[in-house]
Amino acid sequence: MDYLDIISGLLSFLFTIFVLSYLVGDNPLFRITIYIFVGAAAGYVGSVIVWQVLKPQLWDKGIAAIFGGTLVDQLLILLPLLGAALILTKISSRMAGFARLPMAFLVGAGAAVTIGGALLGTLLPQMEATINFFDPQLAAARNIHALEVMGNGAVILFGVVTSLAYFHFGARQNANGTMHRFGLIEIIAWVGRIFIGVTLGAIFAGVFAAALTAFIERFSSLIDFINKLIGIF
Amino acid sequence: MRVLTAVIAIAFGILILLGYFLPQAAIIQTILLNWAVILTGVAALVGLVNLMIVHMDKVRRSEKGSIYSAILVLVMVLTFFAGVILRPDHLLMRKVILDGIILPVEAMLMGLLTVTLLYAAIRMLRKRADVMGIVFILTAALLFLGSATLPFGDVPVFGTLIRPWFTQIFALGGARGILIGVALGTLVTGLRVLFGMDRPYGGK
Repeated sequence: MDYLDIISGLLSFLFTIFVLSYLVGDNPLFRITIYIFVGAAAGYVGSVIVWQVLKPQLWDKGIAAIFGGTLVDQLLILLPLLGAALILTKISSRMAGFARLPMAFLVGAGAAVTIGGALLGTLLPQMEATINFFDPQLAAARNIHALEVMGNGAVILFGVVTSLAYFHFGARQNANGTMHRFGLIEIIAWVGRIFIGVTLGAIFAGVFAAALTAFIERFSSLIDFINKLIGIF
Repeated sequence: MRVLTAVIAIAFGILILLGYFLPQAAIIQTILLNWAVILTGVAALVGLVNLMIVHMDKVRRSEKGSIYSAILVLVMVLTFFAGVILRPDHLLMRKVILDGIILPVEAMLMGLLTVTLLYAAIRMLRKRADVMGIVFILTAALLFLGSATLPFGDVPVFGTLIRPWFTQIFALGGARGILIGVALGTLVTGLRVLFGMDRPYGGK
């Protein structure tokens, strides 16, 4: 156990105790820990950005483009450099307006990536996975009886449709001014609530199990550190 | 400026989107996404500077709790410069910052969720005992019972039949419905930006 391990273990031990102290109520030790955590995490993320994004993408490529790159290479590095300079104007309240140009680019790029991700990464794969339950060849390939797979698929499809119906907020106005949903949608949405309740319950159980594991791991690390200290002295 | 920003957002958004569907546009998409990564990095650094300015203002005005702000700024600046000088994967950074501060605090905060979640579940049962709430709690209890390691082994029917059926069939149906709903909402939000109906970068 070298001195870095001792420092690391000691910090870990203290901060674990300080965070745990929140169980008896909000207190200065907990607050100090949280502020130190935010500061350390923010500083660490900043240094990761410098080394893993800005240096390879901007600095290294910029140097290579200036010394020996073509005009296209220089132009391709000049534009993000200009964008970066414009974003930096956001620090000054008087010049912050210039940052709108690169921010517009970022929003446009983000929207495009979001659309692509939602369509190709979620919508189509989820629909395909739901449909695949009704493919007898796939069931045979997995050596499961087709009827069993289709039965499960029917329950899943029913869950998908009813859960989606729960988020249908189209409504009509009654004569007395109150709003109401179309009758059939209301019934389907009620069934959807049960499916959503089950899903959220399953997620809750998963998160609770993960939190409990983290809790036990921290206690185990506290005991480990004390044992190591006893071993040293 | 308002028109220019809208043109930039829509034009570059469409060019990047085309890269998903046309192989010919993939090169342009890669270049533009590289630019986006660089600009996001710079924007994140500007965010950190803003965080520092806000907390330094609190210290300067001697607001209540300004000592915490001073600690935050000090730790942030020290960590940032140590990371830039030594590199984030340096042994000192890994042992002191990651293993000593970030990971234990994150894990313990996650551990505190155990108490918070339990308390929230009990409160929900007391304040909102409707169909969804009861189904929610029953499912959570059922799944927990099914996955618990008990002294006499697994609970026979829960662990082998009910729990897998609930998680792999019943919950999957609801989860897929929620996921498709979220994806549809995300898709529409993205399209609204590309059509210029929403302009979060400024301009009405």
